[in-house]
Amino acid sequence: MLRVLKVAEDSLAPEYRQGDFVLVSKIPFLFIPPSPGNVIAFRQPGYGLLIKRIENISSDGGVNVIGTHPDSIDSRVFGTVRRGDIIGKVIWHIRKT
Amino acid sequence: MIYQILNKFDQKLNIETVKAHCDIPCGIYDPIIAQISALTVVRMLDLMTEFEAKTPDRNKDYMNSMARYIAVKEEHAERAKAEIRVIWGDYLKAQHLEKYPNAHALVHKIMQLGSKVRQTTDRDQATQLVEAINEFAQMFWETKGVATKRAKAPYAPALELVYPAL
Repeated sequence: MLRVLKVAEDSLAPEYRQGDFVLVSKIPFLFIPPSPGNVIAFRQPGYGLLIKRIENISSDGGVNVIGTHPDSIDSRVFGTVRRGDIIGKVIWHIRKT
Repeated sequence: MIYQILNKFDQKLNIETVKAHCDIPCGIYDPIIAQISALTVVRMLDLMTEFEAKTPDRNKDYMNSMARYIAVKEEHAERAKAEIRVIWGDYLKAQHLEKYPNAHALVHKIMQLGSKVRQTTDRDQATQLVEAINEFAQMFWETKGVATKRAKAPYAPALELVYPAL
């Protein structure tokens, strides 16, 4: 239900930087479904475990995610994220000091 | 303080990383190049067979044309192998291999057939290469959740290829 993950790479910079830690949980989604602005961790076939921000929810229920960096690999490249592939929402961000 | 505790924890237990992926892999993978390359190998063998039958003189013109067919056969067999290696090495990840445990054996079979069609003029081996790469293409598109269809290539040799049904 709760997982600590370490951020690698910089597509969500400057807010999330390489070396930061995040606490991720599915619990919030039991009450409120994923919505634009949420930062989520998910498994994307071919790319592994990724962290991105939800840009919008597509009409078929898929989740479109985006990074802040112009070179971010996100839904513009791999399409929508299936809800079943979502690991959870970032509920705590511990920045590298 | 909390960061330092987590960092110590990470140094001992290796906390799983979550990638904010940004290293510009182009993400463009498609087995069609390998499929067409394998088809080209079959085509070159057919052209060699036809040319041999209709050309009685083994003169330098004959040698020249035959050498060109062989060169193209060599090039495309190697290209098919290289394209499959890239998808296998760069695209296929652990979760794919869990789902398709035969993937390594299939790629190895393609490598072996790719070498065999360079060494020989055995058309049967070449069609086996086309079919093995079709099998790989089928698996590849399944990993992306893309349905496939089989259809004859619209050019000689009109062998069946696996295409994404888009």
